[in-house]
Amino acid sequence: MLMPKRVKYRKPHRGRMTGRATRGNEVSFGEYGLQALEPCWMTARQIEAARRAIVRFLRRGGKVWIRVFPDHAATLKGAETRMGGGKGAVDHWVAVVRPGLMLFELGGIREEIARDALRLASHKLPIRTQFVTREGLAESASEAKEAVA
Amino acid sequence: MPVQIELAAEPREVQGRRVKQMRSQGWIPAVVYGHHTAPRSLQIELRALSKVLARAGESRLISLQVAGGETPQTVLVREVQRDVLNHLPLHVDFYEVSMTEKLRATVPLHFVGRSPLVASGDALLNEALTEIEVECLPADLPESIEVDISRLTDFDAIILVKDLQVSSGVELLADPNEPVANLSAVREEVVEEEVAAPAEAAEVEVVAKGKAAKGEEEVPAEE
Repeated sequence: MLMPKRVKYRKPHRGRMTGRATRGNEVSFGEYGLQALEPCWMTARQIEAARRAIVRFLRRGGKVWIRVFPDHAATLKGAETRMGGGKGAVDHWVAVVRPGLMLFELGGIREEIARDALRLASHKLPIRTQFVTREGLAESASEAKEAVA
Repeated sequence: MPVQIELAAEPREVQGRRVKQMRSQGWIPAVVYGHHTAPRSLQIELRALSKVLARAGESRLISLQVAGGETPQTVLVREVQRDVLNHLPLHVDFYEVSMTEKLRATVPLHFVGRSPLVASGDALLNEALTEIEVECLPADLPESIEVDISRLTDFDAIILVKDLQVSSGVELLADPNEPVANLSAVREEVVEEEVAAPAEAAEVEVVAKGKAAKGEEEVPAEE
């Protein structure tokens, strides 16, 4: 599973997840992407499960880019522990996801296959996501507007 | 290249944060500027704008008719700001071109043809570039540049920028030796069913350990 090799601080502050992703919000490497629509702490296990779902579906062919990395340590206090006594132990690693962040990208395959692969991956994730394409941004925007109208 | 795409716009008085209300009414703020023209704020109907943006991209000339203006302006889309989630345009920059002056524009690359290795499923096409900056007169501006991938017959084959075919009036601004496309072998991912060991968080090395170390280093303390 993904985790950092070395970190500056062992137990980071929790931080905030307000706002939208201002970086990493475009399809930059492949042709299709899975974009987060909600904020969350995405654990390394969830990212790995989604990656496996994609790879298992694609089997052969296609390239996969994982655009998120769990570099934030999440701590937990032990069960039945009274409050106090300092911050809990590092339990797992998470990626801080804000709406708009591109989670996975695919390339070298047909759109229908990419849609299916990313749909399977989305079922492994704790948030709502959407499928986006590199070229089709303008198209999908006009379609979205038509749907609203 | 003849101007084909037409777009109607209106002059805009609303500036700053109040454009938010304008957007909710279906109007998108825009600006047009050029080498010889002062910037002018415009507003454009979203539906018409979306259709034009989808057709024109950043490489086709648009005939922009501003209400109250005499003659349509020939413009290029310079920048489109989009909403991160619904990808609707938030603001558009148009660049007024002079038909006698060279301009720089980004032109998309279209990959055409069939590479035998890609067709057989043994190779993956790596598209290192998907668009390229060109310099030319507006009349010579290509809508797209075609890249023939049928030349990629083995894994050592590579298409470079200097291999791209463009008309004589068009100059490619990228490094001639920059790769455009090549092939890579398809790797079959082995989906191992190993029981993943839990991430040993404690094993991760910490750069600055403890308060003593923190004090010694020039790293600023956490707020």
